[in-house]
Amino acid sequence: MAVTVRLPGVLRDAVGGDSKIEASGATLADVFADIDRRHPGFRSRVLDDRGTIRSYVNVYVGDIDARDSGGLGTAVPEGSEVMVIPAMAGG
Amino acid sequence: MTDHLELPAALRDAIVSHARAESPREACGLVAGRDGRATRVIRCVNAHPAAVTRYTIDPREQLRAFRDMEANGEDLVAIYHSHPATQAYPSPTDRAESHYPEAIYVLVSLRDAAPDVRAFRIRDGWVREVDLA
Repeated sequence: MAVTVRLPGVLRDAVGGDSKIEASGATLADVFADIDRRHPGFRSRVLDDRGTIRSYVNVYVGDIDARDSGGLGTAVPEGSEVMVIPAMAGG
Repeated sequence: MTDHLELPAALRDAIVSHARAESPREACGLVAGRDGRATRVIRCVNAHPAAVTRYTIDPREQLRAFRDMEANGEDLVAIYHSHPATQAYPSPTDRAESHYPEAIYVLVSLRDAAPDVRAFRIRDGWVREVDLA
């Protein structure tokens, strides 16, 4: 299923510089795996060693926060927009 | 990448006002623009539990701001935050938690009587000051 993935911030570097790419997959895990096939290393920028979403990254499928709806198992409907947003933080 | 930031006086004043209103907590927000020119300040909530010395822009507000900017044909120009009691220079935490190389980081210090506003690029832990006009 085709979805749009938006990558503001430093994560665009992990996909060759585009802040918006097309990907496919029925769940977030599938979508990230699809991107990683084309841009090796992408998954490790977004996921930690245990395969969960890194603490500095927030992932939304439409308006749904993936952390509140099954993490990587979150369903990604056809045509939806996935936003992978690094935190804006500091001291 | 532009190496300077044109920040109209009204926007600079809006950022300083926000910093003063939040003090002693750190204030934070975004500057939207078109073609690299700053046009609008977006105040955000500092969601960090230790907001006197840290900031985290509320993630939901961040999502909304990105959507609004896209709908308006705007870009993210800058990310600002205040240092209520220290200098207007990126702290080690600012460098460690910087994930937006495409944006300019604007810092406001309220340490002295006159607010100090400075602008920087932060990438991979290094800091470079950029001209603020």
